[in-house]
Amino acid sequence: MTALLSRFGTALAGFLVLLFFGAFAENFASPGNLSLILKDTAFLAVLAIGFTLALATAELDLSIADVASLAAVVTGALIQGGTMPALAVLAGLATGLGAGLVNGFAVTVLGVPSLIATLGTAAVARGFGFMITQGVAFVGRWPREFTGLARGSLLGVSNMIWWMAAIGLLAWVLLKRTRTGLHMLATGEADEAARLAGIRTRRMKRLGLALAGLLAGVTAVLLAASLSSAAPNMAGDHFLYAIAAVLLGMTMIEPGRPNIPGTLLAAFMLKALGNGLVLLGAPYYAQDIALGVIITGSVALSSTVMRRAAFTKRLNLRAAA
Amino acid sequence: MSEALLSLRGVRKAYGAVEAVRGVDLDIGAGEVLALCGDNGAGKSSLVKVIAGAQAASSGTMTLRGREVAFHSPEDALRGGIATIYQDLALAPRMSIAENVFLGSELTRGPLGLPFPRLLDRRRMMTEALGYLQRLNPALTDMARPVEGLSGGQRQAVAIARALRWKAELVIMDEPTAALGVRETAQVLDLIRRLRGEGRAVLLVSHSMADVCAVATRVAIMKAGHKVIDRTVAGLDPDMLAHMIMTGQGTEVAPAG
Repeated sequence: MTALLSRFGTALAGFLVLLFFGAFAENFASPGNLSLILKDTAFLAVLAIGFTLALATAELDLSIADVASLAAVVTGALIQGGTMPALAVLAGLATGLGAGLVNGFAVTVLGVPSLIATLGTAAVARGFGFMITQGVAFVGRWPREFTGLARGSLLGVSNMIWWMAAIGLLAWVLLKRTRTGLHMLATGEADEAARLAGIRTRRMKRLGLALAGLLAGVTAVLLAASLSSAAPNMAGDHFLYAIAAVLLGMTMIEPGRPNIPGTLLAAFMLKALGNGLVLLGAPYYAQDIALGVIITGSVALSSTVMRRAAFTKRLNLRAAA
Repeated sequence: MSEALLSLRGVRKAYGAVEAVRGVDLDIGAGEVLALCGDNGAGKSSLVKVIAGAQAASSGTMTLRGREVAFHSPEDALRGGIATIYQDLALAPRMSIAENVFLGSELTRGPLGLPFPRLLDRRRMMTEALGYLQRLNPALTDMARPVEGLSGGQRQAVAIARALRWKAELVIMDEPTAALGVRETAQVLDLIRRLRGEGRAVLLVSHSMADVCAVATRVAIMKAGHKVIDRTVAGLDPDMLAHMIMTGQGTEVAPAG
């Protein structure tokens, strides 16, 4: 019972919040609104999956949003200039991956803590973003083969949702079903033990940060395709949301551990919360306040859940002895 | 010991200006339990870290099965057939028993019998982990349990199971019984004898004279970074051993009675 509650307690609380919105916010539970929330979740989810993979190796990537903005600007500039969409997309992905590799180098080779290194990368990315755009946004009638990446649909389901599902599934398989994923988690949870077991922990950290960067690039491409525009700081709004999604996700499914299903569920809950607050006519700043409470609350919750779990286990042991 | 499995010649390890190991020669043969003794700060742990690949020697040579080797990481040592069980056990507390037994050498299989992609074979790891652990601690049956909830002896069993899993020819144990009760200690000593019986070599770092006299075939004593004594254990009792460690002097003390 305690185990179930610790795995699904916050998910249950989130569900109750959704029920509340369903009852009191008009239109919240309409299929149209729910699919809007789900589509909106996709950008956040892809970005947050990247953060999850970096955090699995116990590294923070605070640059994801600014890197995503830069990657969007790079893609947008190329599309605007008439470059083949495929090349523009590749350039966007390469921008994200490149930033992730730089983060990995700074953390594992130069020995800069990821908190600092990725903050530095974030500032540099933001600077480049404004340099390329000169502060304005790229907007235009972009080729449909580019915008279709995000706007199209398959079997009646929006492409955005397919992207989220596919990337979520791949990331889940990586983390839960492959040696590499297990090594990433071991690196994050017991660095020294992992190293002594022959795991190349620094390589795992580089991988986590590189994937976070790459997925920031993917988010950027999808954002630009969806909006037919690219602007510096266009992913900025997703920053706190992504962090909140990962931390809230850590209170679910596998409490205390960054996990993909938790991240996805939490991303949806957060977007639904934002949507519900708007529908209820809550002021715009209510969302920020709620996010802040969720970020700190989630971490407090997962650390107490973990302490409690360890405590009850000890009790059981004593009872058995 | 006709031919040494591992030979050290003139191994030194310095941390900045501090020299922890000052030129040690040491041979370990298959089927031998070599106890490494000495007071705190004598250089035992540093020497063990060098052999285990956790730290590089400052100078000196290591020869494994007649071939000179240089370990740059624990992975190198493991591949060479040297597995180390550390004092703090080096387990990942939040991971399961099975995951810890196989950490760094996980089993994989392709889905539906395909060669690719290689996915973790959790079921086989559970079964095999249970097989290793049944020899060590039959009370442990739930391989999915996280290690953080286990007792000291149970953790020790998990750590030893991992070394068995690597099929190591040389198993290094750093204070394996320090945290254990009487019965668990007896189990570990029994296991050391069994490893020896299988023709493996064991390097036992221990402060317990009783353990050393019970299982070791040879003892090497370190003092201030030097190896001062290297002899068989036959004919020694714990008191004589303690005296040798304290004084760094050999067996001039005549055995009483």
